[in-house]
Amino acid sequence: MSVSSIFLILVSSILVNNFILSRFLGICPFFGVSKQVETAFGMGMAVTFVMALASMMTYIIQNQILKRFDLEYLQTIAFILVIAALVQFVEMVIEKTSPTLYQSLGVFLPLITTNCAVLGLTILNIQLDYNIIETMIHAIGAAIGFSLAIVLFAAIRERLELYDVPEVFKGFPIALITASLMSLAFLGFSGLV
Amino acid sequence: MRDMIKLGLVLLIICAISAFILGVTNDYTQGIIQARAHEENVAAIKVLLPEAEEFELVEDANVTGVTDIVEVYQGTKNGEVVGYTVKSNPQGYGGRVDILIGISIDGIITGAKVGDNTETPGLGTKIADAAFINQFLDKATTNEFQVTKDPQRENDIETVTGATVSSEAVARGINRSTQLFEEVLKNR
Amino acid sequence: MKFGRIFSRGVIFDNPVFVQLLGMCPTLAVTNSAENALGMGLATTSVLIGSNLVISLVKKLIPSKIRIPSYIVIIATFVTIIGMLMKAFLPDLDRALGIFIPLIVVNCLILARAESFASKQSGLPSIIDGIGMGVGFTVALVILGSVRELFGAGTIFGVTILGSFYEPARVMTLAPGAFLALGLLLALFNKITSKELNEL
Repeated sequence: MSVSSIFLILVSSILVNNFILSRFLGICPFFGVSKQVETAFGMGMAVTFVMALASMMTYIIQNQILKRFDLEYLQTIAFILVIAALVQFVEMVIEKTSPTLYQSLGVFLPLITTNCAVLGLTILNIQLDYNIIETMIHAIGAAIGFSLAIVLFAAIRERLELYDVPEVFKGFPIALITASLMSLAFLGFSGLV
Repeated sequence: MRDMIKLGLVLLIICAISAFILGVTNDYTQGIIQARAHEENVAAIKVLLPEAEEFELVEDANVTGVTDIVEVYQGTKNGEVVGYTVKSNPQGYGGRVDILIGISIDGIITGAKVGDNTETPGLGTKIADAAFINQFLDKATTNEFQVTKDPQRENDIETVTGATVSSEAVARGINRSTQLFEEVLKNR
Repeated sequence: MKFGRIFSRGVIFDNPVFVQLLGMCPTLAVTNSAENALGMGLATTSVLIGSNLVISLVKKLIPSKIRIPSYIVIIATFVTIIGMLMKAFLPDLDRALGIFIPLIVVNCLILARAESFASKQSGLPSIIDGIGMGVGFTVALVILGSVRELFGAGTIFGVTILGSFYEPARVMTLAPGAFLALGLLLALFNKITSKELNEL
């Protein structure tokens, strides 16, 4: 495991294969909770937290249970249940230990279960044949990439509110076109790796 | 408390039913999926060992457990073994590189191909070009391959300029394959 | 409610993509060609019909506290079955759709129908609702896929429409093209529906 390959996974998951703008994972929260920078940031943090934990848990389950007993076909069910349970658990822990954190992240947590970025990440980790260290790096990179995209997008949308947009483009259409331009910009990173 | 147990039980029953249904479906589809994968593999390796007419996966612990070796097929013609194809995946510059070679039973490389890889486009990916990979063709498996900028001996392979790591990875994968042939496969 | 109305609501008035904006990830990700879009639409429809039916049948047996995890398990079961069948019988499509097949589990459309329709209705209406929503989803995906394939490669379902005079804009089949095409289609949809509303 060399430093360069760690760096490679990070750059690739944050910029080149950005989860939202190039892999199309986590589109729902990307449009749903990106009206304000602050909430976007909260969502990004909540997702980061769950992604890191879920990657670790699913790695262990895949290698210690599913692979060992030849049950790989139960992968989807096992992973989604782990994520759902994890989200519930994190919600309870945060609620008990840090009410302030709960206030800022609490509303986003239930949404994360059906956030395809988390399930997508855990399945990709297995498909890409990553070991535990690479899995964790990939999770961190994916989470940073997700947060980066959603916060940038929220910043643009805050500005967009002030401008006069043609009636039929108001709301989602203009948001999608904005996302298209952002995705075009991120496409420029593809030469990096 | 009793409520919790009841909820848990209901969920457990749902999961059990679902696991059972999936198990049955898996039993049914797995054979078809494997047969198809086998067919696709055979189509790919047939080119590498043209002499053979039938292929069979080698499931010998001495073969499947070797470092960097993915899978080995035994090629036969009229019931007689005419050679083997070996798939290896050595670590390259940007990740693992899939390499497939065919070896005839008398120890000559009959075909070589670079498969899936994540090497640097335009540099490392040149290992898949005929100019590089065909250097291995018709060579004997008894000697180790050596990548060098200035090939002199029989089993010297000329490096792809600017992609030494990728070139060495290919040679390493092929060396492991030929070694496996010399030490295990030939004597089966 | 009449079956016809349940069906048409899913296809047009409550179209999952154009009106409800549900299931955006597969909508954007696999519509780089009309064929992939159709495959994804049909796979999702099958899961939707199956999960709607089963959930409407067992809704009384599931305590409301654990209904969401139970629905997810039921949906995931159907998704896995569809995934296995596709791997066995449609391997090329399976490869093209890749990770988005298991991700049908988290397509918000399916859970939304389970929660808002199947958990309250009986079997037959739930099947009709599943078919309606599924067809609506499929039609939207195929429209988007056709538009992207047309401008990105000059073809629809692999058949050449725009001849050699047209220089394909490859970017339409890439990520930016997905966002752009859906944005423009939604604007068009808004335009049409707002006109109809004015005329009513």
